[in-house]
Amino acid sequence: MNLKNFGYFIKEALISMSRNRVLSLATVTTMAICILFLGVAVLLTINAGNFMNQLESDIQMIAYLDDALTDNELQAIESVIKDTAGVQEVTFVPKEEALQRLQAKFSEEDYDLQQTLGKNPLPNSFEIKAVNPQEVAQVAQVIGEIPGIYKVNYGQGVVERLFQVTKWVRILSIVFMVILALGAIFLIATTIRLAIFSRRKEIYLMKLIGATDWFVRWPFFIEGILIGVIGALIAIGLLSGGYTSLINNAQTALFFIPLVSQQSILIQVYLALAAVGVSLGTIGTYISINRFLNV
Amino acid sequence: MLVQFYNVTKVYSNGVKALNDVSLKIDQGEFIFLMGPSGAGKSTFIKMLFREEKPTQGQIFISSRSIVRMKRGEVPYLRRSMGVVFQDFKLLENKTVAENIAFAMKVVGASNREIAVRTAEVIGMVGLTGKENSFPGQLSGGEQQRVGIARAIANRPLLLIADEPSGNLDMDTATGIMDLLYDINRKGTTVVMATHARELVRDAGKRIITLEAGRVVSDLCTLE
Repeated sequence: MNLKNFGYFIKEALISMSRNRVLSLATVTTMAICILFLGVAVLLTINAGNFMNQLESDIQMIAYLDDALTDNELQAIESVIKDTAGVQEVTFVPKEEALQRLQAKFSEEDYDLQQTLGKNPLPNSFEIKAVNPQEVAQVAQVIGEIPGIYKVNYGQGVVERLFQVTKWVRILSIVFMVILALGAIFLIATTIRLAIFSRRKEIYLMKLIGATDWFVRWPFFIEGILIGVIGALIAIGLLSGGYTSLINNAQTALFFIPLVSQQSILIQVYLALAAVGVSLGTIGTYISINRFLNV
Repeated sequence: MLVQFYNVTKVYSNGVKALNDVSLKIDQGEFIFLMGPSGAGKSTFIKMLFREEKPTQGQIFISSRSIVRMKRGEVPYLRRSMGVVFQDFKLLENKTVAENIAFAMKVVGASNREIAVRTAEVIGMVGLTGKENSFPGQLSGGEQQRVGIARAIANRPLLLIADEPSGNLDMDTATGIMDLLYDINRKGTTVVMATHARELVRDAGKRIITLEAGRVVSDLCTLE
């Protein structure tokens, strides 16, 4: 493509967009709606993933220790746990602290737990986090066999169910996103095909006169790219506006769901959506136009 | 020799045999009428010339080049040596007369200056000076066909192909169009024109190729 023609192609694309205003508007709207939905799906997926990660990272094991262990023995056990495969973090919780925490839960009732109980019945313990929360059961079993530890709790039963839930949330949100993406491609390709179909006579003529395939394609591509960019910008504008106000207003009400709000992630999402818009415009045009070039 | 057909047969995918063992030659500068009833293969013959269709069997040479073996990428350059005039004109309704012609020149990469000069020239040749900025919808059928012809000759083709150019026009208008085509032919362009209109052909004194059921049944300078 030489530069002389490039100006012509852009001019042709703009003329055709303004002459086929209704179709261009329809395509831009379709594109914007598709990208908007896709963006919502992406944000949902990211947030769902983030929320699930957070839920899982809250999982920890508590290893209860036998009474009457010496300080040296405690330290030895701690280093054995630290060396266990899959362990990320170990924190020692002395029995006094455990009692204080328990006391804290009863603080409103204003009575002295220790006095009531006479002595501290709670054991010393280690709080342990696994590198991979999914492996918590196996790690707990290994730690449970260390001498001096009489029991390991990690929320047996509940954790397994949580993992079921997080697995399905992840799968469903990705399936949702893929379905939307396929729908968007189909819808956009159809709309572009309609726009090109209305100009098949022009394309046929160009081919009979002796236009090369690329000479015919370029104006359509530029149009497709412009439509993709405009559609994506509209969608991104709506999406970022909506999401920002969601973060600002709903975060207090939905405090238990940690909304992803790092600008760097969001900007990546928006840039990706813009790229999706341009690619959908280009791919949609490419697929649709080739059938009419076969003259 | 401009056009050579050697034993050309065309069978469409639906089984219709549109051309059956056609062999003929067309010299540079000839004016040829292609006659025959509907379905005789005229349109297929014409589509072969600019390679919209390829033969099922046989060979076609244009300016001594096989257009059967031609690569897809070379087809545009073949077509630039031809101009096509259609029965239904095929003008772009949203472009003016001048723009319709300029469009054809732009497609083949002419510069804006060349386009301006040549567009005015061909509009003059077909007698439409003053209507440069009219849209096709504002013109009569005969005038629209003149635009079609102007577009077809804008790139100075060696071969002008006209598929029923007067099919949609009344007799007087058709005669005017014929005069224009003869004029173009006199200036050296080979013309191949498919038509039903015996009254246009009868006294022209040109070569007449008659097709029937896909075969050449006569190739004479008079109408049988």
